[in-house]
Amino acid sequence: MSFRQARWDEPSIWDLAPSDPGPVPEVPGVPERLRRKEGLRWPELSELEVVRHYTRLSQMNFGIDTSPYALGSCTMKYNPKVSEQLARRPGAADLHPYQPVETVQGALEVVWRLERILAKVTGLPEVSLQPAAGAHGEYAALLMVRAYFRDRGELAQRTEVLLPDTAHGTNPASASMAGFTTREIPSKDGCVDLAALRAAVSDRTACFMLTNPNTAGLFESEILEIAATVHGAGGMLYYDGANLNAILGITHPGRMGFDVAHLNLHKTFATPHGGGGPGAGVLAAGETLAPYLPVPRVVKRGRAFSLDYDRPKSIGKIRAGYGSFGLDLRAYAFAITHGEEGLKHVSRRAVLNSNYLGSRMGRYLPRPFRPLVKHEFLLSGAPLKEKGVRTLDLAKRLLDEGVHAPTIYFPSLVEESLMFELPETESKRELDRYYAAFERAVTDTPEHLHAAPRNLAVSRIDEVRAAREPLLSWKDLRAASAKVETP
Amino acid sequence: MPRWISDEGGEEAALLAALGISSVEELFTDVPKKARIGRMGVGPGHEEPEVVREIDKILDRNRPLSKFAAFVGGRFQSRYVPAAVDAILSRSEFYTSYTPYQPEASQGMLRALFEFQSLWVELTGLDVANASLYDGATAAGEGLLFARRLHEGHRFLVPASLPWEERSVLENYASGPGLTVESIPYDERTGCLDLDFVRTAVRSGDVFGVLADVPNGFGHLDEGLVELKPILGDVPLVVSADPLSLTVLEAPGRYGADVVVGEGQGFGIAPSFGGPALGLFACRKEHVRMAPGRIAGATLDSEGRRAYALTLQTREQHIRRSRATSNICTNESLMALAFVVYASVVGPRGLAALQSSLAEKARTLASALGSVPGLQAPRFEAPYLCDFTVELRSGTARAFLDRLRRRKVLGGVPLADPRPGRSSGPERILVSATPTIGEKEIQKYAAAARAALSGGGAS
Repeated sequence: MSFRQARWDEPSIWDLAPSDPGPVPEVPGVPERLRRKEGLRWPELSELEVVRHYTRLSQMNFGIDTSPYALGSCTMKYNPKVSEQLARRPGAADLHPYQPVETVQGALEVVWRLERILAKVTGLPEVSLQPAAGAHGEYAALLMVRAYFRDRGELAQRTEVLLPDTAHGTNPASASMAGFTTREIPSKDGCVDLAALRAAVSDRTACFMLTNPNTAGLFESEILEIAATVHGAGGMLYYDGANLNAILGITHPGRMGFDVAHLNLHKTFATPHGGGGPGAGVLAAGETLAPYLPVPRVVKRGRAFSLDYDRPKSIGKIRAGYGSFGLDLRAYAFAITHGEEGLKHVSRRAVLNSNYLGSRMGRYLPRPFRPLVKHEFLLSGAPLKEKGVRTLDLAKRLLDEGVHAPTIYFPSLVEESLMFELPETESKRELDRYYAAFERAVTDTPEHLHAAPRNLAVSRIDEVRAAREPLLSWKDLRAASAKVETP
Repeated sequence: MPRWISDEGGEEAALLAALGISSVEELFTDVPKKARIGRMGVGPGHEEPEVVREIDKILDRNRPLSKFAAFVGGRFQSRYVPAAVDAILSRSEFYTSYTPYQPEASQGMLRALFEFQSLWVELTGLDVANASLYDGATAAGEGLLFARRLHEGHRFLVPASLPWEERSVLENYASGPGLTVESIPYDERTGCLDLDFVRTAVRSGDVFGVLADVPNGFGHLDEGLVELKPILGDVPLVVSADPLSLTVLEAPGRYGADVVVGEGQGFGIAPSFGGPALGLFACRKEHVRMAPGRIAGATLDSEGRRAYALTLQTREQHIRRSRATSNICTNESLMALAFVVYASVVGPRGLAALQSSLAEKARTLASALGSVPGLQAPRFEAPYLCDFTVELRSGTARAFLDRLRRRKVLGGVPLADPRPGRSSGPERILVSATPTIGEKEIQKYAAAARAALSGGGAS
């Protein structure tokens, strides 16, 4: 397949028209001291100019709709179009979060129903849709753990959060924001080293954070022993749901012994990720931690839904409003479309796709751990170093084929790692096309690999320069060009 | 099975055959039997038409804002969104993309984010904006943690009038590092900050930051804002600002704000029951390495052409892990795109005109409600733009709003913390002039309020 991305020499929006700050209109009520002295500096454009500008920019962007998006741990599956339509219905979009509950019964019902479904999917009885993203859910969960140990009088002592060395970066960052210190548990053959975990747990352990399958794509088969170890020390077990797409209907966090979990609706439940967000980071809790979930909780009494604020142990609010309702609605549509059998099938197919592609690609690059993987798999690009090629070059070369690269250089326990995930919505034909693209890329000459990408809107980007001489806004660009023009 | 999972021509059998196995079950032998589950109990799947019918049926139980004379606003807004904004947001190259980890393949979104950052910089008068946070409340939370990185101390001061949700979010963000959130009292007549309290608190030490909001939680404008920074000295000033107000109000960077946060939902994003929203964050350039979140930066490609990439990533969780400036990974990029497209379609003059017309309506509304016996409207004397606070002389805000609702008026947002035992103060409501209201709706509100408050009180 030959591929060329659009290459518009599109100016920045402020270069499309003059933007001399005009006078600020007299607005009733604005005291002189607070009045803006100089109008907003931004161009006045026709609607068509704006539409053309952003349409051209969109044509210089990969999305799931244009390209298989193999980013591992991101679960870039098809975002159903019907969900986009439903989320734009006036009965969903034109609702204010602070309308009286009597006027938003349908919204509360969607939330309530989705929470019940997710409780069953996770095996954890109480669910809150409030967190705005996965990391936000992690953070809220750790605040709940904190509140729990405060109630037990153990907070001063339980200061440590344990996590495997393969953990997503958000895990240690969330733990430290929530006031814990972190300690890494080394992996053995890609999984948690149970002996090391046993040696590390103590009466200082507040929580062990784990994703299962882990970021090496491996199922942590000793999960029940891990749970017993953490609980034996009095700690809580936290499930990072980033990789839930592998286990729907096979197992769930509740059965594995987790006390609390977050899920990413923008991964497993197919809500679009919007170029970085929005996300939705559902919280699910077992009985021990459920009383600490954020308020309000959506409750059903008879046929009526209401918001319950009477949860004395709750950590309170973690954002304004009740969550990303627009995404909850999309996730609900996804869930009831699939149903029990469909959701099971999601994971079976995702795992099948991953094993198929992994076994084929393994002909070219080593697979660091055991071959049986779940929804994603790792390759090591280390052998390419012999011909002077790095994983980064291979990733850029894949872009030239019109397919998105895998996650690279994570997890760091594998040298020059590449982490591929092509979820259940990729057909065998797409997998075979991806494989063919990979084969062309990995066997290409070092010169071509170093020169990649050549078929995109821009060539290889100097990211070091971006960090060394930061130009972060139009204001910076103006200052930089003034400097150049000054003799 | 949904048609989103392809089994065209028995392709699953072919995948299994290629792996040399006969059943998918063989791929799950690593999940121990004791950890396996039976049925989840989720219920059967449905075809697309059934799903649409079912969801439409549920959504019919909502009564959207358009069914009412609606005066609910505050941090979330219902404003007309030009169809062009949604047309751009519906470009699936944007909405189905991931965080631009491969910048060469993602120039479109990176450039849009760079333009968004630039717009927030222009509105705030600061130097650097990030590519978005979750919402206004969490942006304030990040503002608190950011202020702590700039200055020693344990106390963070916020207006007592801050909406309870934001206060609760801030208390959570403060709790990890063992910091406290304290109230700055307000003048009972004006609703404005007690600057002497701030002066004394800062002088006594241990204050690492002060947050002020514009408009404040009562909807009013506090002129004292411009006096805050000289009182604070090197203690950081965090301003939480409504973006539309900044088209006519002084840029907070000009009166000494070190950080400006805000809720951006009102710019091109449907209220959608409160989410997704858009957290805004800007700071000074010398502090950028302590800022939270993704930042798009301009650089060059290997042929010397202008190109864009996420930058200064050594601040972030995927590199710095437990020592990152924030845990944020997913943000609200698509909403940031909505923000900049909305502002560009409406244009600077259109934005200021919108703010101006809302302010005019709010004055008409205030005088209509001010003549209703039993209501003090506005409750405070400070100036205001489109929101102000109304106080009931008797009865509860909830009962009053219930009575209005039966007359098809959504009268505003109760200000009290709804958690039991958290609020015992006066019964107050934040009332907002929204774009859809005119003289007719205003008179409807006043008449409904009169009826609700007459005859036996409102409780």
